Amino acid sequence: MFGAADTYDEYLEPALNLQVVYCSHQGSDLTLREKLAISEDEKVRAYDHLRSQFPDSEFVVLSTCNRVELYTAQESKENIPTHQQLAGFFADFHAIPVDEFFDNLLERTGADAVRHLFSVASGVDSMVVGEPQIVSQVREAYATARVNQASGPMANAMFERALKVGKRIRTETGLAEGRISIASVAVGDFGKSIFDRFDDKQVLVIGAGEMAIETLRYLKEEGARELVVVNRSVDRAQELADEWGGTYVAFDQLDRLMATADIIVSTTGADRPIVTRERFAAVRKQGEYKQVFILDLGAPRDFESSVGDIDDNVFLYCIDDLEETCERNRKVRQKEIAAAQKIIDEETDEFMHAVYHRATGPIIRNLREKWRDVTDEELAWLFGRLGDMDERERKIVEQWVNRLVNKLLHPPLEALKEEAREGTPHGLMDALRRLFHLRD
Amino acid sequence: MNLANVGIYCFLASYLVAFVLEATRLWGRSKASRLFVLLFAAAGLCAHTIYLLMRSRATNLPPLVGSQQDWMLVLAWLMVLFYLVFTFLDETSAWGVFILPVVLLVVAATYLVGDAPKPLLAAQQNLKMVHAGLLVIGIGGVTIGFVIGMMYLVQHRRLKRKHGQTTGLSMPSLARLARWNRLCVMLSFPLLTAGMLTGVGLGLYSQKTPEPVQFLDPVIIGYGVVWLVMAVLFGWLLRAKPAAGKQVAWMTIWGCGFLLLTIVGLQVLNMDSWHS
Repeated sequence: MFGAADTYDEYLEPALNLQVVYCSHQGSDLTLREKLAISEDEKVRAYDHLRSQFPDSEFVVLSTCNRVELYTAQESKENIPTHQQLAGFFADFHAIPVDEFFDNLLERTGADAVRHLFSVASGVDSMVVGEPQIVSQVREAYATARVNQASGPMANAMFERALKVGKRIRTETGLAEGRISIASVAVGDFGKSIFDRFDDKQVLVIGAGEMAIETLRYLKEEGARELVVVNRSVDRAQELADEWGGTYVAFDQLDRLMATADIIVSTTGADRPIVTRERFAAVRKQGEYKQVFILDLGAPRDFESSVGDIDDNVFLYCIDDLEETCERNRKVRQKEIAAAQKIIDEETDEFMHAVYHRATGPIIRNLREKWRDVTDEELAWLFGRLGDMDERERKIVEQWVNRLVNKLLHPPLEALKEEAREGTPHGLMDALRRLFHLRD
Repeated sequence: MNLANVGIYCFLASYLVAFVLEATRLWGRSKASRLFVLLFAAAGLCAHTIYLLMRSRATNLPPLVGSQQDWMLVLAWLMVLFYLVFTFLDETSAWGVFILPVVLLVVAATYLVGDAPKPLLAAQQNLKMVHAGLLVIGIGGVTIGFVIGMMYLVQHRRLKRKHGQTTGLSMPSLARLARWNRLCVMLSFPLLTAGMLTGVGLGLYSQKTPEPVQFLDPVIIGYGVVWLVMAVLFGWLLRAKPAAGKQVAWMTIWGCGFLLLTIVGLQVLNMDSWHS
């Protein structure tokens, strides 16, 4: 028979066996995150390392540019990796002193770890709230852990639930609605509202700034093919044109190119507008007054703001215009955080309840088995004493006894279930063991 | 349930609820709200269909040639059908915000027109069906063109004012709206013309009967003027450059708006006409 201490050991609250150690954009800088990052190529070695060090544990490593997280889970209490040990793993793996990062390597256990994972998977914890990439990053991290046989039943349950929670939050809240980067707003909100398709549009890039590259990425995703780059620096323009499958044209051809372009992305970095209203009005006269979508991503502007008023088919947007939309969408997302948090709490409670309830499984099984044994014994005795009973009468008696047992067991099992909503019901489990003389 | 109890108010109420729900979706769209909107609109369309069938049975005439009211209800029915198809195929765009008010106006206007079947409509029923059918489909197409023109202008205004897209009032791109806008007029005008020609043919035929059609009937004159306006719009569209999306939208709105106002107005005013 178990004493209280043995009981607690045996049915240790499994929630405490879930933990995460992590550093993210919220508490540590990029330099540190880069030091602790575990790339896809390094994960096999990392999992081998972890398995050899903590053979009883399950692991999932999530490493993105904004976070490095190591999730652990295990069924038994024996040899649970401690915060220090996991920090030691990072130190050994990257050959850096623990002191350099230990204070930034945060730890969460039990329900907090689960809540943290759900927040991460749903984008609530992201630098850009609601960003969609994190879902695929979590999914890939989990898949890699499975392929490397690093995860097990508990980690699997936690990550599968996390992916569902992420999906639920995206469906039920506006957390992922609206674009919040300049380039995505430019192409997704404005470009796609003007044009139906991009594969037949001529894209003219003036200058070769970072923003232009980011915007080109979105335009390419939408199917843009025809790309012309003009820039004062030939080398940089040629490089950009080669990188994105476009052509370089000399800067003095700018007016002719603007007349035929459907989309103009400008990031010259000039200290004053290079395209005045008069210049662009003259350019429009050369063309057919077709719709032109101008993204002036230069700071200061490359196009005079009055260029947008030349005719109905000129759609000019500068960084401030786009930033305004980004900011509004960000605010909308921020407002949705509370709703998302509510779902995360609800899902965490449900998940933890399932985990806690799982801990009561052996007790319930033992209790039922014990009572079934008693029932069988007593029925055998009763049937022996009563003598000749036909099959139907036997069945009725058996049914009656079973019903009686079930009714007697119902209150304690319900109490156990209720208690398991708040946490592993150690007290009640121990009481049941003592009262009913349950053995393992 | 007695189907004869289904009245105009039944589907008018359904469409009104669908419209209010569509309007609330401007502040946030969800699958549940879309389902409710579609349910109310579909319920309204069912009641609408039942009402037209019951009317047809009562008057012993197809709804198209029954009465002024029946004819307008067929137009509204077509519009709701367009709306349901558009909403079903394109769940992101706020079609209902633009189409349902027109539907409500047309259905509400039917309270102002007569529902008595016209006695002259007994002969040449098939040709009259073709005449009324072509006109109602043509006018339906023009009305959709009107709605799309409105959507174009709202979308254009948003883009010019540099407002980001809101999930509530999501619309197709300007390029697509311009293409559909042009298509609606291009397809509707030949139908209206064919409808007019069959009407003229019917009028000429009636001269040999004891009750000849008066070509100076105010409704016929009104339709003639409308057709002329549409002919001008059609001709202009053929010559307009593809880039003239906003002008096309404005022209469509003016042309189609004039057509709708004239036709509904003529029906409402009645003007001592035998023509429904």
